[in-house]
Amino acid sequence: MAADFIQNCLDGLMIGSSYSLLAIGFTLIFGVMRRLNLSYGPSIMLGAFLGTLVYLEFQAGNFVVALATVFGAIAAGIYVERVCFWAIRRGAAAASMVSSFAVWMQLEEIVTVFFPERTYSFPPMIEAEPITFGPFFLAVENVIMFGSAVLLTVLLHFCLYRTRFGLALRAVSENPRAAEFMGINIAAIMFGAFVAASAFGGVAAYLIISTDGQITPMFGLWATFKGLIAMMLGGMGSIPGAILGGLLLGVIESNSLWYLGAEYRDLSAYFVLFVFLVFRPGGIMGQLAVLREQAATRRV
Amino acid sequence: MLQINNICTNYGAIEALRGVNLEANDGEITCLLGPNGAGKTTLMMTIMGILSPREGTIEFDGESIVDASSGVIIEKGLALVPENRLVFPEMDVRDNLLAGAYSRLAKEKAECLADIEEIYRRFPKLKEREKQFAGTLSGGEQQMLAVARALMSKPRLLLMDEPSLGLAPIIVEEIFQIIRDLHSDGTSILLVEQNAHMALQVADRFCLLDQGRVTFSGKPGQLEENELIKRAYLGASQDD
Repeated sequence: MAADFIQNCLDGLMIGSSYSLLAIGFTLIFGVMRRLNLSYGPSIMLGAFLGTLVYLEFQAGNFVVALATVFGAIAAGIYVERVCFWAIRRGAAAASMVSSFAVWMQLEEIVTVFFPERTYSFPPMIEAEPITFGPFFLAVENVIMFGSAVLLTVLLHFCLYRTRFGLALRAVSENPRAAEFMGINIAAIMFGAFVAASAFGGVAAYLIISTDGQITPMFGLWATFKGLIAMMLGGMGSIPGAILGGLLLGVIESNSLWYLGAEYRDLSAYFVLFVFLVFRPGGIMGQLAVLREQAATRRV
Repeated sequence: MLQINNICTNYGAIEALRGVNLEANDGEITCLLGPNGAGKTTLMMTIMGILSPREGTIEFDGESIVDASSGVIIEKGLALVPENRLVFPEMDVRDNLLAGAYSRLAKEKAECLADIEEIYRRFPKLKEREKQFAGTLSGGEQQMLAVARALMSKPRLLLMDEPSLGLAPIIVEEIFQIIRDLHSDGTSILLVEQNAHMALQVADRFCLLDQGRVTFSGKPGQLEENELIKRAYLGASQDD
């Protein structure tokens, strides 16, 4: 019994690390913009299809496929930033959210037009026997996924706390008006945050899809859901929250899959989200994000 | 040094500044007094390039700074201590100071770090709080940090928007001591204040702003105290 639970938690943490990456992307954008980008999942889905394209057309190796995925996600992210955020930066926050929803539909349609068969195979990252230790085992691609997530998080931490760009990004997300008084170019920082978030999303997409071995246009919806739920569990706008939220979501899912069955996997995730929203709307990292949101009337 | 001519700025739908003329001279403390809603903060934001004026010119050392970005304006030697301090609450004191030096951080990082040590010598309290989040500092310490942060860009003219706002009298005294010290070190200051009594003790010259216009400009003592207090706090627009 206990061994099952531990094995589930291990699996959950591995999968959850990719949710954490998605949530970090969401939270970077939300932290800086105070606006929700619903098109986040679909834009990294577009990147993943670019990866599929170079794989199918040119039989590209894993590294090139991964690179194409990240590049495509960044390009689509820039498009979303220009259309849904930059163009209406003085408008209401809801306008950005609604137009990001419209771009979501647009990106999905583009993919459906150019990839009419819906399901495409994606090259696996690695084929190897699972690592076993005692009664437990871990799939190698999951370990790589977890390791990459840790590496990227460390890199992000370094960027945020040791570079000039990170300093400006933190300043803008704490108080855009004050950041402007320091001579920080807010528009440039927001653009940079979008690129960084899309890059995170691209890496997460590659890790997840190469583990699954296939991709469909539904990946966009799926990624938006996972990232959004993980971010809300952790606390909107908080990076440690995004990491914890992603890991928690993974553990909840793998345990409910084991104990309740596949049909309850998403249901239990939504249930936990519901409980959080009712009893702790700020998420794991406390009410901080809620308070910030109230203070966000000082938006650009 | 700073020459403002006929500036008109809208703040949202409100015509907040309606032809402001103002001058701040090198080495002086120029004080801007006026009641709430007179347009003092709007003027500060217009000078810093956050708001664009509808009309008028602003020159700093003979160069126009209208429509320049705040980054360019800071590089030219202006800096603002904003109203309500606006420190970054979840960044530590040191990072707040670094953010103040943002405009020159890329080119002269080593000097910026040396300047932080210099700031710590001037404000030992900030050294004690170095690793603390700015949001956990007291109001007076936050104001001190806001001033220090603005100094990190090495301004030749420091704009201060109501530095005494919401502070206890003893702390206000401390803040004005800092203003005097900065002045004697050669920094020119444009001081916006509600506290006319304190402000006029340090000012070389002062202006009264009311309903978006400068209604008086001169040296302390040129206006009878009763009249001055009345106009600084209540406005004097009956003659409009």
